[in-house]
Amino acid sequence: MYKAIVIGGSAGSFQVVTRILSMLSPNLSLPVFLSLHRLKHVRSGFLEALMMKSKIQIIEPTDKEQIKPGKAYLAPANYHMYIELGNRIALSTEEPVHHSRPSIDLSFQTAANVYRDKLIGIILSGANQDGALGIKKVKENGGLTIVQDPKECQVSTMTEASLNLIKADYVFSSDRIADFLSKIK
Amino acid sequence: MTEIGIVDTRNIIKLIQEKYAYDFSDFALTSLKRRLESIIQQRNLKHPELLLSRLNDNPQFFEQMLEDIQVPSTEMFRDPSLWRLLRDELLPRINREFPRFKIWLPGSVSGDELYSLCIILKEIDLLDSVNILVTCMSSRSIETIKSGLLRSSKVEVSLENYNRLNGKAKFSDYYSTVNGTAYRDTNLIKNVNFELERIDLENPPCGVRLVLYRNKMIYFNPTLQLKVLKNINSSLSAGGHLVVGIKELLANLYNANDFILVNPSESIYKKK
Repeated sequence: MYKAIVIGGSAGSFQVVTRILSMLSPNLSLPVFLSLHRLKHVRSGFLEALMMKSKIQIIEPTDKEQIKPGKAYLAPANYHMYIELGNRIALSTEEPVHHSRPSIDLSFQTAANVYRDKLIGIILSGANQDGALGIKKVKENGGLTIVQDPKECQVSTMTEASLNLIKADYVFSSDRIADFLSKIK
Repeated sequence: MTEIGIVDTRNIIKLIQEKYAYDFSDFALTSLKRRLESIIQQRNLKHPELLLSRLNDNPQFFEQMLEDIQVPSTEMFRDPSLWRLLRDELLPRINREFPRFKIWLPGSVSGDELYSLCIILKEIDLLDSVNILVTCMSSRSIETIKSGLLRSSKVEVSLENYNRLNGKAKFSDYYSTVNGTAYRDTNLIKNVNFELERIDLENPPCGVRLVLYRNKMIYFNPTLQLKVLKNINSSLSAGGHLVVGIKELLANLYNANDFILVNPSESIYKKK
């Protein structure tokens, strides 16, 4: 059925992401890509904090790292994270997009190009527009789109920008997003 | 932005290969595609076909493209902890063993790594003890680096990085602003040698003690990464060091036991 999940978030998304990770099936058979805005000069700490309650292993990938099912891949600080053909992750130091590196748009667009309609794209709370074009691409390529309910977001700029561009398949609260993903094997 | 497909990308690669004998076929596809898209947008070409015809008719356009297709460094002193380590430990240690030694910076595009290096060398009084070789794929990159240009988007972040490594001076001592544009002090690089390089770094220099090559191989696929690494390996003296980006892992592609990872957090390798 689905072959990958890509999640984007910025300000206010940390607790939602940790909640999602804590509810995923430990036997998940697909990879999860986490493109989250983060401080660019702080290399460590973020991964460890996300890992605390996660049911699956989280990796900050090195360039051209092979993608494995059941693992989460967190975009490293100050790099864009691309999903490359040939089941590998590619990193890039190209210009920031919407002042962001990692850029959510770029992770989503490249994941959409590779996984097409077998991709689930999720946009969470965030303070800028990065991610909106990305989730649009997921939609165009036939993937499933989920946007966190802006009413519930700590900062709703990102989710509102997304919903302005597409009609998402689901607009869910964080509980429902976590619940939905927990049923994916 | 105009999105170009894989077929368009392959056609562009093929034309460049046939007409200019540069082989981009082993560049990582996603980033290459994005670079081409950005060139198409900057030049207002609207369509990949127009890029193809420009490339076919205009060698100067290709020269410009050679510079634009490469990704410049993001900032000076990226990863300040690495620069601190180079300044406080590695460079003095190499100098104790080899009073005069050679440093090579392949794949240079914007000069950020070069000027960062020269600043820390100056601050530990080693600038006159090194032979630095900078190689670039494009002659335009050499001109850009020699001009000292520091893009305005990089000034603030470079300053923050410099402060994080507790530099001896003020960052603003190292550049001046002319009509709103920052130019770095080119006295820093007056003894640096510049040469053109091929994509796979064939015919590398020899007797090199330190290679700085960070976040360059990420734009290549494993085939080209391997070729480049072999050439870097042959340039280094035994015991010489190679610094790559913190998210580049030679073990992902390089099985030969030519290098030991001596500092995993800063991605510093030593040639056996």
